[in-house]
Amino acid sequence: MKLLVTGASGFLGQYVVTEALRSGHQVRAVVRPMSNEKRLAWHNHANVEFIRLDLRRKNGIADELKDVDAVIHLAAAKEGDFYTRFAGTVIATENLLDAMIEAKIKRLVHISTFSVYDYLRTPSGTNITEKTLIESDPLERDEYAQTKLLQEELVREFEQKNQVEVTIVRPGLVYGRDNLWSSLLGGQLTNNLWLRIGGYATMPLTYVENCAPAIVLAAEHPEAIGQTINIVDDNLPNQRAYVKKQEKRKYPLPKMIRINWTLMRTIAWTMWKYNKVVLKGQARLPGIANPVILDARFKHFRFSNLPAKEILNWKPKYSLDKALERSCSNEELLKVQQPSDTVEEKELVVSG
Amino acid sequence: MTTTLKSAVIGTGAISKEHLSFLAKSERAHLASVCDLSPASAKYAASRFGADSVYANYNQMLDEVKPDVVHILTPPHTHKKIAKDCLEAGVHVFCEKPITATYDEFQELSSFAQSHNRWLIENHNYCFNEKILAIQKLIADDILGEVQEVEVRVALPIRDGGIFADENLPNPIHQMPAGVIHDFITHICSLVVRFIPDVSRVAAAWSNHGGGDLFKYDDLDATVIAGSAHARIRFSCHTLPKGFYVTVRGSKGYVETDLFQPHLRCVIPRAGDLLSPLINHFANGCDFVGSSFINFRNKIMQKTPYEGMHRLLDKTYQALIEDKQPPITFEDIERTNKLVHALLSEDKRF
Repeated sequence: MKLLVTGASGFLGQYVVTEALRSGHQVRAVVRPMSNEKRLAWHNHANVEFIRLDLRRKNGIADELKDVDAVIHLAAAKEGDFYTRFAGTVIATENLLDAMIEAKIKRLVHISTFSVYDYLRTPSGTNITEKTLIESDPLERDEYAQTKLLQEELVREFEQKNQVEVTIVRPGLVYGRDNLWSSLLGGQLTNNLWLRIGGYATMPLTYVENCAPAIVLAAEHPEAIGQTINIVDDNLPNQRAYVKKQEKRKYPLPKMIRINWTLMRTIAWTMWKYNKVVLKGQARLPGIANPVILDARFKHFRFSNLPAKEILNWKPKYSLDKALERSCSNEELLKVQQPSDTVEEKELVVSG
Repeated sequence: MTTTLKSAVIGTGAISKEHLSFLAKSERAHLASVCDLSPASAKYAASRFGADSVYANYNQMLDEVKPDVVHILTPPHTHKKIAKDCLEAGVHVFCEKPITATYDEFQELSSFAQSHNRWLIENHNYCFNEKILAIQKLIADDILGEVQEVEVRVALPIRDGGIFADENLPNPIHQMPAGVIHDFITHICSLVVRFIPDVSRVAAAWSNHGGGDLFKYDDLDATVIAGSAHARIRFSCHTLPKGFYVTVRGSKGYVETDLFQPHLRCVIPRAGDLLSPLINHFANGCDFVGSSFINFRNKIMQKTPYEGMHRLLDKTYQALIEDKQPPITFEDIERTNKLVHALLSEDKRF
């Protein structure tokens, strides 16, 4: 297949391109105009074509979609204020979808997030699945969740109004090399000081080398069309177990002040009530003092990856221990053999 | 008598939040429509702030909605064309700064507005911040004496990330004559001319200390003279912390504030030569302590340096309803843009 991958130079994007190349696909990798492609491990791979585009600008996107079989849309803004993220996530997606209509591209794998679920109104202990309630009050959530919700809404509209084949993939929190510390462990107080909230909530993690193949499989499998698929790994750890495994590997952790989940939730609810009743909702509380955001990150739930396994015939390749080992190793995780190398190797095997 | 004006907003980017939050709650305005080239952006603004309708084409919106006031919040190079179309449709225009790229364009637009008997208002929101109004009162009450010196200094790390440093999709402001500084120069000049209106001499050094092609300038150092009164204008991206400092020195005393972290340090005659310094220190110490609590509360309560915007818009809508002169007049905009023009004319003289 010829796959156009947006956000190709991002953390997850680099692994998705690697996996697509390993699966024998041609990749049109969309990177921002000023990106340094040389830093990407697969930059000189024969099956990669770089497209320098900023999706926030409408012009030129449709031209780059010619002959593409499917689009894997990973691009999103993860930093900045609401309007910066809105431009990088929502407007970028709007422009991409318009271009797909213009170029008559019918297949889209959209990468959403676990952040779209309504964790406040979902009872503790619930098994979070693709059918779990979607956030009904986005303005109470952080900018990332707000813009990802709007983005998914756009994709749904695109699917309904046009005769297109859409798969929505919702990964849990993606971790991997250089991204091992997690906002699911607490809230940042200063540069190197975190408030570690709770310890026994199950973390909806997916290791980047497990998640990337699921995304490529979603593009390959016709059974995935029209589906929404959550991606989390097997045997998910709780916060305490995850930190202990990192400590065991001497991974540099920030300093932490521990606070009990129930106590933190009580503090947050008190502040939230005070804001609503006394301050008429005018105050903007820090994320960890907002029960809506707090529940989204630290409430106790269970998570399932059964539909991903059934629809995509996917299985997480690496356990948590193996994933941490690979993340902390010097192994080149993103290396992809050139097609000619593979052919030569096969020939050698045959002749040998 | 009309008590509510029908409003529309063209352009729903970041600054629209400040306008729309006023329009959503003001009793003097009814938010009839929002318009943006991005339907997703317009739709979001409409649902977030309660607009009746959504458009991607502003001419269609002008025809169908027939608003009384339009807020133009698009990139600066588009202002002139959109403003003319709005004025021609008989609509008052409240336009984000800078109103036009050049002084000539402003004059053309200003004449056009006056010939159509409509108001054209450029946003000078910082002139309506609480602390600036307090300084004006000190002058009006003759506590500072005659204004002799003004300093307006903006320090912002515009090169260290953010929308202006984005090389992937350069902000349209980079195309303006003063580059990124054009985004701030209207505010700076509008404050200077509030205190010393009739500028006669100008010297300015425009620099690009950080180099590179993206930024045309990242530094401005200017002196402005009006009669015996002097003003210093500084824009710097290399002097942290960020701030928007305004100092006004009169013949009797001086006052200073930072519009980003508001306080008011007022050094004036209070009780004779002997006790005045002590009382000033004590009074200003109390003000600083008080300001730290107030600013903390303001941060929590989402009261930002844009606090003057709602005050300005409220006064503007009141004036339009009562068919009176708005708080920012043609003369105010003329003086501001004339000073911007004079500063830009000094380019490359240093």
